[in-house]
Amino acid sequence: MSRLVPATPTAFHRLNPLTKVTLATTGSVGAVIVGGYLGPLTILGVMIALAAQAGVLRALLRASLFLTLPLAISVVLVSVFTRAGTTVLFQVGPFDATMEGVDFAGQTLVRLLAISMSIGLFVMTTEPRAFVFDLERRGVPPRAAFVAVATIEAVPTLIERAGVIGESQRARGLDTEGSLRARLRGLIPIVAPLILGSLTDVEERSLALESRAFSRPGRRHLLWTMPDSSPERVLRWALVLVLVLAGIARITGRI
Amino acid sequence: MSFSWGRFDTRTIVLIPIAIAINIVLGQTVAAALKIPIYLDSIGTILVGVLAGPIPGLVTGLLANLIWTYVLPAPLQSSYAAPFAVVAAEIGFLSGVFAQLGWFRSRPNSSGQQLVIAAVVALVIVGGLAIYTVSRFYTGAFTFFSPEGDQSVAFQLLGWLIAVGIVGVIVGFLALLFLRRDAGVAYVVVAGVIMGVISALISAPIAAVVFGGVTGSGTDLLVAAFQQGGSDLQTAVLQQGLLSDPIDKVVTSFVVFLLLRSVSRRVIARFPQGEAAVGMERP
Repeated sequence: MSRLVPATPTAFHRLNPLTKVTLATTGSVGAVIVGGYLGPLTILGVMIALAAQAGVLRALLRASLFLTLPLAISVVLVSVFTRAGTTVLFQVGPFDATMEGVDFAGQTLVRLLAISMSIGLFVMTTEPRAFVFDLERRGVPPRAAFVAVATIEAVPTLIERAGVIGESQRARGLDTEGSLRARLRGLIPIVAPLILGSLTDVEERSLALESRAFSRPGRRHLLWTMPDSSPERVLRWALVLVLVLAGIARITGRI
Repeated sequence: MSFSWGRFDTRTIVLIPIAIAINIVLGQTVAAALKIPIYLDSIGTILVGVLAGPIPGLVTGLLANLIWTYVLPAPLQSSYAAPFAVVAAEIGFLSGVFAQLGWFRSRPNSSGQQLVIAAVVALVIVGGLAIYTVSRFYTGAFTFFSPEGDQSVAFQLLGWLIAVGIVGVIVGFLALLFLRRDAGVAYVVVAGVIMGVISALISAPIAAVVFGGVTGSGTDLLVAAFQQGGSDLQTAVLQQGLLSDPIDKVVTSFVVFLLLRSVSRRVIARFPQGEAAVGMERP
């Protein structure tokens, strides 16, 4: 069980996972609901302050910029140059860069950054297994929890397996580099054995699980609990309330 | 055969994480590396829908996108997957229904007559859907070839490229159908197109409101083109989706169809809906 207890360097890390995920969801959904510049920028500010407190600010900034960069390039190109508008700033060939497009791109960018910083902060400060087991303790079906935890293991396994298959196909003379066409053709001899092999593995794994009472009905009793406090509970409900109020305000057109 | 919503037996529960991993690995590597305007991030979801039933498919789609955002560790995690969980759920559900109707069955050695009927029926259904969507969503804004539209060379070229792409897909479909002599291809194409159109209708508002209409992949070029052609953002995203989603879902469904043919029937029959999906119990 020791590996389940996450290292707790800061107070923010020690918060219950549910509190952190509520914060992340309020931040990301809130940024979409409120819109404009002020709301998302406020959320960004809060997340930066919390990340600094948790000591992950540099890593978080790097990760969300990396994640947002391809989208950012697209947003700028798509909206600055092709969004209809009256105030033309400059022209490139047939494309007018409009003030309205710049404004829209700016709003989208702050919104996307607010989303990725909110969720990124949660992911960086929370041990995923602790989050899933905490949810299970709160009543999420054990099978859903199993799926979540097994996926964490399955993704690296699959990538490793793809690497092994790729190498053995190359040893048999498969061309996986070069032109786009060659790479496309090289994809099939890797992807097909990858998926087929995983499918045949299912049988073995489910037998192993069955022999360990996987389908036994009733609740599992977890030896391990995540600390939770009443201030945190109040904070969670307050965040949900803020989100609901923002939604109502948005629908009724007050913001 | 009575309709079933599907079952969560141990095999299905074990299959779901693997399917989600397939979605994530292929969705990230293929779409990002090849820069083609399709996503290929629902092979696993469709696989579960086909093998286990509509509800397991739905749950897989939903969980896949939520896990992608909230549970996976950093290099694989993507904060932008969760908003599209509804779309993934819809794909899983529909693939389960279609598989139960037998649309993912292989029909080898079909006679020439059957092939022609299958081709005509599939083209009529797809064509009907296409005419409906074009008349409903592309009127006034679909200005690639109209004299009022943007006449610049880039957009003429893009318009022709899209036209060539569509013709290519139809020719490829007919070639596959007649070369493989497998009427099942026609069913898979119809299933993929229906899933694609519905996915486009659901995902367009999400993409427009949350992401400003972009995904950071090759599809953004189409959004830019439609917006330049005079559509507002919401319409441009929908027009892009109605073009790329059906193609993406047809390709994905076809991959699953080919996989089902290559897996031994012994393996498939162990899943709750496996027998119905590949057609073992002939009436």
